Order: sequence, then C-alpha cells, then structure tokens
Amino acid sequence: MKLLQYLGSRFVAYIAVLFIGVTITFFLPRLMPSDPIEGYIAQMQNQAGQTITPEAMDELRVQLRRLYGLEGSLVEQYINYINKVVLQFDFGPSLYSYPRPVAEFIWTALPWTLGLLGVSIVISWIIGNFIGLLAGFFHNSRFATTLEVVGVVIYPIPYYILALLLILQFAYIWQWFPLSTTIRPGPLTWEKVNAIIYNSFLPAMTLIIAGFGWNILSMKALAFATKEEPYVVFARLKGVKPRRIMTRYVFRNATLPQITALALSIGTIFNGALLTEILFSYPGLGLLMRTAIGSGDFNLMYGTIIVSIVSVATAAFFIDLIYPLIDPRIRLR
Amino acid sequence: MIRLNQLVATYTTVRGTVKAVDGVDLEIPSGNIVGIAGESGCGKTTLLKVIYGDLVYPLALDSGGVDYVFADDDRQEVTTETIQQYWFKRISYIPQSSMSSLNPVVKIRKQFVDFLEPKANKEETLDRVRQFIRQLDLPAEALDSYPHQLSGGMRQRMMVALATFFQPDIILADEPTTALDVVVQKGILLLLVRLQRQMQNTVLFVSHDMGVHYQISHRMLIMYAAKAVEFGESAEVFSAPLHPYTRMLIDSLPNIGDDHMRQGVSGRPPSLWDDLRGCRFAARCPLATQRCRDEEPAFIEHRPNHFAACHYAGDELPKVEPSA
Ligand SMILES: Nc1ncnc2c1ncn2[C@@H]1O[C@H](COP(=O)(O)OP(=O)(O)OP(=O)(O)O)[C@@H](O)[C@H]1O
Ligand SMILES: [Mg+2]
Repeated sequence: MKLLQYLGSRFVAYIAVLFIGVTITFFLPRLMPSDPIEGYIAQMQNQAGQTITPEAMDELRVQLRRLYGLEGSLVEQYINYINKVVLQFDFGPSLYSYPRPVAEFIWTALPWTLGLLGVSIVISWIIGNFIGLLAGFFHNSRFATTLEVVGVVIYPIPYYILALLLILQFAYIWQWFPLSTTIRPGPLTWEKVNAIIYNSFLPAMTLIIAGFGWNILSMKALAFATKEEPYVVFARLKGVKPRRIMTRYVFRNATLPQITALALSIGTIFNGALLTEILFSYPGLGLLMRTAIGSGDFNLMYGTIIVSIVSVATAAFFIDLIYPLIDPRIRLR
Repeated sequence: MIRLNQLVATYTTVRGTVKAVDGVDLEIPSGNIVGIAGESGCGKTTLLKVIYGDLVYPLALDSGGVDYVFADDDRQEVTTETIQQYWFKRISYIPQSSMSSLNPVVKIRKQFVDFLEPKANKEETLDRVRQFIRQLDLPAEALDSYPHQLSGGMRQRMMVALATFFQPDIILADEPTTALDVVVQKGILLLLVRLQRQMQNTVLFVSHDMGVHYQISHRMLIMYAAKAVEFGESAEVFSAPLHPYTRMLIDSLPNIGDDHMRQGVSGRPPSLWDDLRGCRFAARCPLATQRCRDEEPAFIEHRPNHFAACHYAGDELPKVEPSA
C-alpha cells in the first residue's frame, strides 16, 4: 500500500514535470519580441530584391507558418503542438537541413548522450562513493585522509577548466586520445566499438572526475555520521567484522541519501554532458543543440530542449523507482 | 563471579582526561541480577563498557582489571583484552539506546547471525532462534521483518532475545526499558527476570528507577561520582542502607497513598573535572563532618556481604521534616 502510494506520487510528479516542461517550450518562442517568420521574409526580400510578388510572399508566409506550427489561435496551436510533440514525437522538419525531420537527428544523437552519461554517472557514483565510504569509515587512518584530499582538491574546480586541463594533457601534450571525436557511420563491428571507446574515453573521464569529487565528500560525511548511529555501534558490540559493518551497516544506510542526491543533481550532470559534447565535438544532443542555435534552426532547437527535459525527468524517475528497492521503510509498511 | 580489581577508566577529551570510573573494587557473585543505580553521569554506562571490554577511544582502562572467572578454550584467563571473542556468546550487551539498535534496512534474521563465524550453520541456528523467540511472546515471522515493522516493545524483546539466545554467562543491560511505556516496560522486565531464572546468568542491570530495582534486583550497586558507594543484597540495601546517598535515593521513591511530596534528591554531584578531596558526597550529605571533607572513606564490608564507603555508615540520619 505504502509502496503504491509512493510510486503513484512519483509518477504524478514525473508527468507534471514533463507537462510543465513541454508547455514552457511551447510558450517561450511565442513570447519572444521578434517574429522569426517576418525576420526570415525580410532576409529573403533583401537577397531576392523585387523578384518576389506579394502573392508569392503571402503564400510563403502561410507555408512558413505551417512549418513552424503557427497557424490558428494560440489554443489551437497548443493542442496541435501537444498532439504532435507528445503523441507522435514529431518536432517538424529541420529548417536548416530541410526537409529532414528533426526527430531523425535527435534519434541519432540521443544514444551517444545517454551512453556517455549513463556510463560516467554509474562509474563516478561507484568510485566516488567507495572512496568516500573508506574515507569516512576509517577516518582515523592516514590513508583515508589522503583519499579525502582527492575529493577536496577536485570538487571546487569548475567543470570546463577540468575538461580543458584533461584535453590539454591527454589529447594535446601526450596525444593519448583524440582532440575531437571522429567515428565513421556504419554497422556495429568490433572496430567501431573500439573506436567508440577510444573516442569516448576522455569525455567520459572528465565527467567521471568532475562527478566523483562531490561523491567522495558527501559520502565521507555520511559514512562518518552513520558510524555513530546506535545500530552501527551495536553491530560492533555484537562482534560483527569491521568489513561487514562497513558494507551492511554503514554503506547500506549512508547510500540512501546519496541516491536521493543523485536524482536531484541529474539535471546539473546533464548540463555538464552537453558542455562536454561541445568541447569534444561528441555527436550527441549537446552538439546538436549547438548546431541548432548556431544555424537558427528553431525546430531542431526546441526538439533538443524537449528531449533533454524528457531525458532528465525520466532518469530522475528511474532513480526514484530504484529507491524503494534499497529502503524497506518505503517498500513495506 | 566477576571480580573488578581497582578499576580506573578514563575518557580522553580536548580538555584532558577525566576519570569516569575511579577505583571500583568488588566481587559480583554469579547467577544474580545486580542492579546498578546512581545519578546521570556517575559512570554506570562506563563501568558496563569496561566490563564488556569495549575499550575504544576515547575510553581507556587506566589501571586495574576484570577477572571473568571463566576459562577460555586454551585454559587461559580471560581479561578485558581477550573478552571480545566471547561477545554475544558468553557475554552480551543491551545498550542504552536499544530502541534504535537494529539496522533499519536489513532483515532482523540476518542481524541475528551476522556476528557468527562464517562456518557456523546459520540456517540451523535460525531454526532454533525461531523456536526460542516464541517463548518470548514474539511471533516467528518477526524474524523475517525489518525493525520498523515491529512495535517498540517487540523490538525491545528482540534485543533481549539476541542478548540471551546464546545463553551467555553475563548479560549487561543498560537501561533497557527507559524509552517504553510502563506496561510494556513491565513485560520486558518480567521476561528478563524469567530468562535469568532459567539460565542462571549474571545480569548487570542499570536503571534510574529504584522501584524497578526493588522488584527485580538481587543485589544493588550504588554509584556516585565515578565511585561505588554501596554494594549489598537488595533486601538489606533497601531496608537498612549504609550510605546516606542510598538513603536519599530510596527516600525519593513515592509510596502509594502518600499525600505529601517525597523528598527529592537535592543538589548535584560534583564535576569529575574538579579536584575531588574527601568524600565526594560530603557537600550534599546531612551527616557530613570535617572528617568527610578531608578524608576519603574506604569501601569496606560493614556487614557480611554489605559494603559501603562512608565514615558513618549506618548511623542515624538527622530527622528532616518533610516540606508540606
Ligand atoms: N565519550 C565520552 N567522552 C568524554 N566523556 C564522556 C564520554 N562518555 C561519558 N563521558 C563522561 O563520563 C562520565 C560518566 O558517563 P556515563 O555515561 O558512564 O554515565 P551514566 O552513569 O551512564 O549516566 P546516564 O545515567 O546519563 O546514562 C560523565 O561525566 C560523562 O560526561
Ligand atoms: Mg548511561
């Protein structure tokens, strides 16, 4: 019962976030003071001079309005928009590479971003929390203090500086990894997998290192506090072996707030991933977003924004679904 | 029997070290419930920790030692340094915050056996545990629950079950029932008494409640400011206390039908950080003389098996009119 309640409330929150996100992306361009269609037409007129007749101009205007989904009243537009975007996942054609649909670009880019992000979040969470756990649990040992210093040093470095430092060292000075990503399209062969790993290594590294500084510090604090909990003290008094106290008693409990924190920070991590892709010309959503902005491709821009919102909300929702698996107080009454 | 030899235990703090148990020297006979009473901060928990051998920073044994008088497998004498291997097998501990002493995210079943050797037959042990907890009015399914699914009283029973299942020689219980309501509390205490009678273990039982001690303790140890001030058979300690502090504690007990306020215990114990001279109770004692303030009374056997640390042990207290 309690579990259903929990899942229900999470699901409602998830849907609400999606709805609000999609609605905002609908209104945002419509609140902009400049009309992109008039801008486009003015541009055309400048280039073509008098050769376009007013009739052809009006025709063009109608065409463009349909392309951008700007026909009819605001309510009609909104219903139309929800219908297309949410139900058919159709963001219209790309305006820059007309008439290829935006969805096509997004479907090619999304796996790259999700793969990069998924792998680096999992690795940085595991390594960071493991180091943090050791540092907090053996807080008296010199070894643990050294581990903590890693977190203290890494944590405050702004993400882009860290990324640039890594690029400078590994790609420019040592040339271990490529400066920018080049992966030829084609079927998934061994060579291609190798190429993907080789090209993704450095971007993933920057994300992992940027993420685990925080994981180390917060896990260290949590483990240190959990160690004083009566149930941990009692485990020691029972004569449970220290390693088991660390895993079954301290980690199992300290990990709960860490998972909540991960769900809350997934948006920030996603931002980081977008930036990484731009820095490494990594063919994911972030790079696509930059292309869209650079070329004034509105449909592509809003498409990538909506997919970002959906991705972040879905990831957070999945983490919420995992939570009851490790906390029986939510699972069972 | 447990023999405490001039135990001195200290806590290390930023201000320096403080003696939380200061020269306790007595012999606890086996098969008894020994009640330990005294005001907050007098060193009851510290004494239990020392006996249990849980000497971790900041607590350390300064001098003295404990003889447990049970030999280990190699016929070596067990000391506070080697008692750890017998934790929850021959000596067990119910800590002061026992309501929250079970891991909230792990099934109780696992917490019952996770301190056993890896080669122990855990399934077989758990079958016996299931049998055992039924005697303790716990449903067998309670073992398969998480702590939050049990009521406070059941959790407490589970702690008692844990502490008694392996039939240890010694059980240390530090205010095991303080967080519970009176009815549940009584049930747990009766259970503890019943199990003790069956198994004949030595139970050291800390409580602030002199009424509870009167009901269940065979012997009483009264502590004051890190020292043992009185130790003897409960019946005698309650009927004819030797130390004025014990008398104050007993007098603070209400009698049903009493229509005026009982005398509370006025004043506070001295700080352990002060330079303590003479009898530590002197400042609050109605019998105190110059001798009490200068000379520390020895802890001696005034009557057979009845010890006290008071120059005027057993002397009549001046009558104090109860304030209406
Ligand atoms: N971890 C610690 N560090 C420093 N001093 C401590 C520590 N634990 C206890 N003390 C001090 O040791 C003295 C005895 O403490 P102890 O916990 O044994 O008292 P107690 O009789 O069990 O009190 P209570 O009835 O409140 O449980 C107190 O003065 C206390 O301030
Ligand atoms: Mg205590």
